[in-house]
Amino acid sequence: MGSLFRSEEMALCQLFLQSESAYTCVSELGELGLVQFRDLNPDVNAFQRKFVNEVRRCDEMERKLRYLEREIRKDGIPVLDTGENPEAPMPREMIDLEATFEKLENELKEVNSNAEALKRNYLELTELKHILKKTQVFFDEREGSLESGGQTSLTQNLLPEDSKGPIQLGFVAGVILRERIPAFERMLWRACRGNVFLRQAEINDPLEDPATGEQVYKSVFIIFFQGDQLKMRVKKICEGFRATMYPCPEAPADRREMAMGVKTRLDDLSTVLSQTQDHRHRVLVSAARNIRAWMMKVWKIKSIYHTLNMFNLDVIQNGLIAECWIPVANLEDVQLALRRGTEKSGSLPAILNRLSTHEAPPTFHRTNKFTKAFQALIDAYGVATYREINPAPYTIITFPFLFAIMFGDVGHGIIMALFGGWMVWREKPLSAKKTDNEIWNIFFGGRYIILLMGMFSMYTGLIYNDIFSKALNIFGTSWHGNYNESTLLTNKELTLDPGNKEQYDQYPYPFGLDPVWQIALNKINFYNSYKMKISIIFGIIHMLFGVILSVWNHRFFNKPMNIYCEFIPQIIFLTCLFGYLVLLVFHKWVWYGAGGADSVSPNCAPSILITFINMVLMKGYQPTPEGDPCSPYMYAGQFGFQRFLVCVGLICVPWMLIAKPFILHRNNKRKLMMSQANGGEGVIEEGGGEAAAAAATEEVHDMGEIMIHQGIHTIEYVLGSVSHTASYLRLWALSLAHAQLSEVLWQMVLRVGLTAGGTGGVGGVVTYFIFAAWASLTIAILVLMEGLSAFLHTLRLHWVEFQSKFYGGGGYAFVPFAFETILEHAETAVTE
Amino acid sequence: MLDSVFNIDCGYLEGLCRGFKNGILKQTDYLNLVQCETLDDLKLHLQSTDYGNFLANEASPLQVSVIDDKLRDKLVTEFQHMRNHAVEPLGTFLDYITYGYMIDNIVLLITGALHQRPISELMPKCHPLGTFEQIEAINVASTSSELYNAVLVDTPLADFFGECVSEQDLDELNIEIIRNTLYKAYLESFYNYCKSLGGTTAEVMCEILAFEADRRAFIITLNSFGTELTNEDRKKLYPQCGKLYPDGLAALARADDPENVKQVAEFYTEYRALFEGAGNNPGEKTLEDKFFEHEVKLNVNAFLHQFHFGVFYAYLKLKEQECRNIVWIAECIAQKHRAKIDNYIPIL
Repeated sequence: MGSLFRSEEMALCQLFLQSESAYTCVSELGELGLVQFRDLNPDVNAFQRKFVNEVRRCDEMERKLRYLEREIRKDGIPVLDTGENPEAPMPREMIDLEATFEKLENELKEVNSNAEALKRNYLELTELKHILKKTQVFFDEREGSLESGGQTSLTQNLLPEDSKGPIQLGFVAGVILRERIPAFERMLWRACRGNVFLRQAEINDPLEDPATGEQVYKSVFIIFFQGDQLKMRVKKICEGFRATMYPCPEAPADRREMAMGVKTRLDDLSTVLSQTQDHRHRVLVSAARNIRAWMMKVWKIKSIYHTLNMFNLDVIQNGLIAECWIPVANLEDVQLALRRGTEKSGSLPAILNRLSTHEAPPTFHRTNKFTKAFQALIDAYGVATYREINPAPYTIITFPFLFAIMFGDVGHGIIMALFGGWMVWREKPLSAKKTDNEIWNIFFGGRYIILLMGMFSMYTGLIYNDIFSKALNIFGTSWHGNYNESTLLTNKELTLDPGNKEQYDQYPYPFGLDPVWQIALNKINFYNSYKMKISIIFGIIHMLFGVILSVWNHRFFNKPMNIYCEFIPQIIFLTCLFGYLVLLVFHKWVWYGAGGADSVSPNCAPSILITFINMVLMKGYQPTPEGDPCSPYMYAGQFGFQRFLVCVGLICVPWMLIAKPFILHRNNKRKLMMSQANGGEGVIEEGGGEAAAAAATEEVHDMGEIMIHQGIHTIEYVLGSVSHTASYLRLWALSLAHAQLSEVLWQMVLRVGLTAGGTGGVGGVVTYFIFAAWASLTIAILVLMEGLSAFLHTLRLHWVEFQSKFYGGGGYAFVPFAFETILEHAETAVTE
Repeated sequence: MLDSVFNIDCGYLEGLCRGFKNGILKQTDYLNLVQCETLDDLKLHLQSTDYGNFLANEASPLQVSVIDDKLRDKLVTEFQHMRNHAVEPLGTFLDYITYGYMIDNIVLLITGALHQRPISELMPKCHPLGTFEQIEAINVASTSSELYNAVLVDTPLADFFGECVSEQDLDELNIEIIRNTLYKAYLESFYNYCKSLGGTTAEVMCEILAFEADRRAFIITLNSFGTELTNEDRKKLYPQCGKLYPDGLAALARADDPENVKQVAEFYTEYRALFEGAGNNPGEKTLEDKFFEHEVKLNVNAFLHQFHFGVFYAYLKLKEQECRNIVWIAECIAQKHRAKIDNYIPIL
């Protein structure tokens, strides 16, 4: 748990690996996933590194596997995913793997090329079959027209009228893609000047293109022409349009014979083809069984060699040197993993040295599935500086709570909590179902946040006594209207007096707000005052908490000066002005009310806003007006006390601004004098004096920077505490907006349904539809949109108002070398 | 066109194009590329650039021709994506760009057919941007009028063909004349089209196309020395939309040797600089490279303006130059001829 409050302690380590055992050691570390390696040759090109050949071999293997997988997918064979995680194979096994893949690829390629040749053959025969069938019609027509002589047929124009016997017409028959027909026809007409005659018929069934495997539609055509020159030309055009031409005998008997031959050959071919397909299927099925494990192995090998490429070569001892960040708590595990790695390869043990460094180590928070999402919210703003206070554990409570203040509604809270709860309950099956739907992944990643937000909203909803904009009267209201009927009928507005025992029971509603407010005319005024005040109260507590957290940072980084010169004036400033404001709110709530003396009656209560403004503006003493029981002050000595608080607060400003630079300046001066005094004794030569002078100028330079930095810091804090306090009013504003929207939805939509149609069945039908509209609007607008907006505002309150008080966020995340994440990335890349 | 409404139709594509342009290799990438020992090294380095895994599915050892094809495929895919998403008038503009490739393809196929090479062997050499439906049937034609009537009349090139319809048989010289006449008509038409679009597009594109026209004029003149092309015929081939028109072209038409051409260039500041540093001796850049460099400069400048179509043209040309560079480097590596490996044209 320790690492959630602060990031874990990290150690920069140097690893000496024997070249024989380096591979196995890195493999073990990859399984462990707790080591971040540093690239020791950042200036070396990717292709000039040591293990580039191995990486290339892996690429090659990957390519073959991808080819296999594509083929498997093409045939729709399910890939077996047993979920097992094979270890990275030894380097010598790589050759076996390579050989296996090579064999598989070659086999598959051979099968494919065979199949393609067969398919081409098959296609040709089918096309020929179609040609023979379709052209039969054309020839029949021609003969028919010949016989009948005077019939008006298109073919007839080509044939001589006299009966000396027909001129020998040549013809070409073939098959062409259907979409190319119009251009083809036009081209023929133009190129042959209209001296050809084209007939075409569509082949109804799609044919398979052997090269791509796609289904294409084709047409049969037959072109009649006269003479050799035209024949050449027609043939060229056919070639140009990728039409396939087939010999087609002229005599009907020959055609019939040919058709028979084609049919038998087709039958033979289809048996051969199905055998080839079976063989291919067998090969692929056996490959599909292993392909997942092979992929993982190759990815692991590749990542190991990528890691090894980041190491330095130790020429003398024939080993490799690596530098890496390791969490101190896991040094033992790493040692064990290294030992396992060396045992596997049976060489000298690897040596792990801790190095001391000035470099900032990476930030590592060990999270579980619950804290992960909250840590992600913090990291989205900025990864924590190494070992500074991590806001995530506090965020777990404050985030859903501040959200709930804005989203306070039991009904909407239940919907949200149920959704979050469902995701948490079905966690395992849902997370196993990997999807690249970004929106779903965001929701699922934040399932615990959603669950908590929903539950907290239910709580605040009960406090606000608000469920779908209606109130629950669980304990019985404390207010009673005891007016008689005639009064009620004649008066539009009636006031209930809290002092009157018959109208008010003199004790409040036990939990949350009294349901009577729901029907009160001054409901909005009352809610506004209440919600505004609690927003300020929670805001100031939240900010004070943030300022207090900074103490742990100052103490941990051993900067006592920051406590005296920053933290103390900051906290005094905040409590004197805004902390006092909170106290005033409580005082007013407790002190003023019905049933007491005149001076504390409700209409005597002074406005806190005005009081506070007067206090900060240092307005003079206001005496109580003559004969008025109400005093502008809430307690005796308030004027003097407020003066005092303002003065203390104001003193804090120069304290924050000047104290730290002044002390730093004095310390520097003292150091400089010491060094000069030493130099005067002649122990250090001139060079030393020069160096000191140089240091001094540097310090003067620094001084200006420190002054500016401190100035900015102070101004930011002082102005910030005003603007941040005001910023917390968004809690009130959003809560108000949410309540109003849900009320509008009830009044304008659902109530229409409930009042429509009177008592008959019509009302029920109308309500049925109106309810659907109301429910979907509630989900879409109130839960989703309002929820999103409240979420964003909460996020802002945490990032800006809370974290600016103590959080630096200048670190970088710890990215360990882990097979788990690498495989996950590769997997998603493949599925894309 | 109003700049403020440009983004409604073309904002997405312009953004896309500028994004693609940012992926163009930088000087540091070239420095790394020329250090490569083998083509596999080249592949490894290209993987770390915007090219990504475009060679990942190719078996080693790699061939330069494979790299060339893949580079071109990638560029064509990008261009066609933009074309498919374009609305008018950008669609016409992008179509205009492809006409240039069509002319090259036609000439390639006819020349091949003259040398009795089968069309199927020539087709893979054609630029995929310049293909059209009837292109493979081009060897039907034996005269230019046949070419026009049978093949080209349905293509967009028909408009440019008007001047070169003749009954003469197609031969080498004839084809070159057809190519240049077509190109002249094409350039002038493209120039006028850009001008009619107006605004920044006209400003940027006219500059680039004017240079293109002038370059063609220079090159035609230089290549015509020692051939049977008469000065009179030559003059007809000069595109008349460049800065050389009309005085420079008239002077070029009279030129008889390379020295005369250089004298013509002297009158134009930008061309004088190009001719001055050029030469064929080692250490000197050829005139062709100089022209390419100038073209790259103009194309890069096109990206300094916003809300215009010139970026699409410029991107295509820059990317083509990059492909030429990579292929050049790859060739040098493959042939172990490293002395000239630095002769690529860096894109600024």
